[in-house]
Amino acid sequence: MATISTSEFEKGMCIEYKGEPNQIVEFQFVNPGKGSAFIRTKLKNIKTGRVQEFTYKSGETVTLLPVEVHEMQYLYKSGLDFVCMDTRSYEQITIPKEVLGNFAKFTKEGDVYQIQLLNNEPIGMRLPKKVRLLVSEAEEGVKGNTVTGAKKTVVVETGASILVPLFIKTGDVISVNPQTGEYLERESQK
Amino acid sequence: MATWRDFRKDPKLFNNLKIRERIIASIRHYFKEQNFLEVETPLLVPTVIPESYLEVFKTDQLDRRRAKKQMFLTASPEASQKKLIVAGLRNCFEITRSFRNGETDSQTHTPEFTILEWYRVSATYKQSMRDCQYLLRKIASDLHAFDKRKFPNASLICYQGKDISFQLPWTHLSVMEATERYADIGLNDITEKRAQTFHQIFSVSKIAAVAQKKGYSVGKKDSWEQIFNQIFLNEVEPEVRKLEKPVILYDYPAPMAALSKLHPKDKRLAQRFELYIGGLELADSYSELTDWMEQEKRFQKELQTIHRLGKTPVIADSDFLDALKVGLPKSTGVALGVDRLVMLFCDEDSINRVRITV
Repeated sequence: MATISTSEFEKGMCIEYKGEPNQIVEFQFVNPGKGSAFIRTKLKNIKTGRVQEFTYKSGETVTLLPVEVHEMQYLYKSGLDFVCMDTRSYEQITIPKEVLGNFAKFTKEGDVYQIQLLNNEPIGMRLPKKVRLLVSEAEEGVKGNTVTGAKKTVVVETGASILVPLFIKTGDVISVNPQTGEYLERESQK
Repeated sequence: MATWRDFRKDPKLFNNLKIRERIIASIRHYFKEQNFLEVETPLLVPTVIPESYLEVFKTDQLDRRRAKKQMFLTASPEASQKKLIVAGLRNCFEITRSFRNGETDSQTHTPEFTILEWYRVSATYKQSMRDCQYLLRKIASDLHAFDKRKFPNASLICYQGKDISFQLPWTHLSVMEATERYADIGLNDITEKRAQTFHQIFSVSKIAAVAQKKGYSVGKKDSWEQIFNQIFLNEVEPEVRKLEKPVILYDYPAPMAALSKLHPKDKRLAQRFELYIGGLELADSYSELTDWMEQEKRFQKELQTIHRLGKTPVIADSDFLDALKVGLPKSTGVALGVDRLVMLFCDEDSINRVRITV
């Protein structure tokens, strides 16, 4: 199996930690006073979902686990799970809600997502930079409320609530950062 | 990040700058009150104190014939300030920039940052511990006087959802006490007490065995310091971060002595401390090493390590050794990361939000 050095770390990579598959959630450089360089990571155990911190020596090598990324089309929801189809093999696969994390509330039937698989098990997804969503419910911006930066909450087609500027109306398409759930911009007006 | 575009969107960033200005004013006031001289020392220098754990910025200076001379950006104002003290200056301080290459991708490091460095003569690191406490308490109370809404208490702040009390006494913990308490390792477990040479005392194979037993992987090239720090960062530091009071961690193992004096009672330890507040490593202080022969030995060792690690070769500051030969008076110094200090009082988790970035 391939090994990599800490300098090759990327978010989302799967590595072996204490004999278990773990995904790198976060990593950052740390240099203790008058000491060598280290890489502090947050690792999510793929089997248990438990997140823990581990600090590697800079340059330490770890085993990289072969994660494949497949394009999957979201078909329908079944309980808490999302049934998807692999666009290459046409195979259907069930993805538990936890695998999608915060993105679960932005899923739209028919959309294609980049799903990460380890030994044919879905373990996560590559988040798109933005997701376009139709505003299904929006109250009119309150008149007289002209403070710059004033916000209101609207509901989008997938049912998620998003904090947006006052000028957004029902029927507008907005884009949202799927990682933070923050409003980015108005894509088109009704 | 905090580029001008981010400043346009996020008014909190301007508030951070205002708090930063206040903090720097408090620092100046603290040292002026005690008659410290504020100095400015060169950032562009031909030689440096070799520090193997750092990577330098190297550049070329041109003379009028466009002949190149290799120069470096300073990683701290230490050498210049100590030279001034040798020349006859007494207590002094400086707020300046420092440059450390390669320190990107981090919430608490950035290649260019602001450092406060001060020196007090005829004193040891014990006095520097007191200075850190009084300085921080003064900043907290000045900020309280400046904005009672944002800083409702003169000796209590909230950082990342956790209250931190500046009330004395602070937590004083020696590094080995902490290591014993949280990682179950004593100094005798990882050193050869009766050995003669430094190399034998800090035997890599002894500490490697301890680390491997705990499940760490140890590489052939790993140094004693790397193995120790990995255990420290994984098992000790996270616990220190949880303590409610600011923490003074003191007496580091000698391989992390840098430019500090060894402990008179146990040569395996160095008179050095670090100040941790809210999990941030804020300041680093020594009883300054004044023995030029010991300093020269450490220079050689650092130069060898720089070479072994394949880092950018540097030219060691022999002028600094000359100054030590003339005689550095007994003194103590502290380097404090100003940006991290601002993070603490602005309740920010990233160093890139307390100044304008590129």
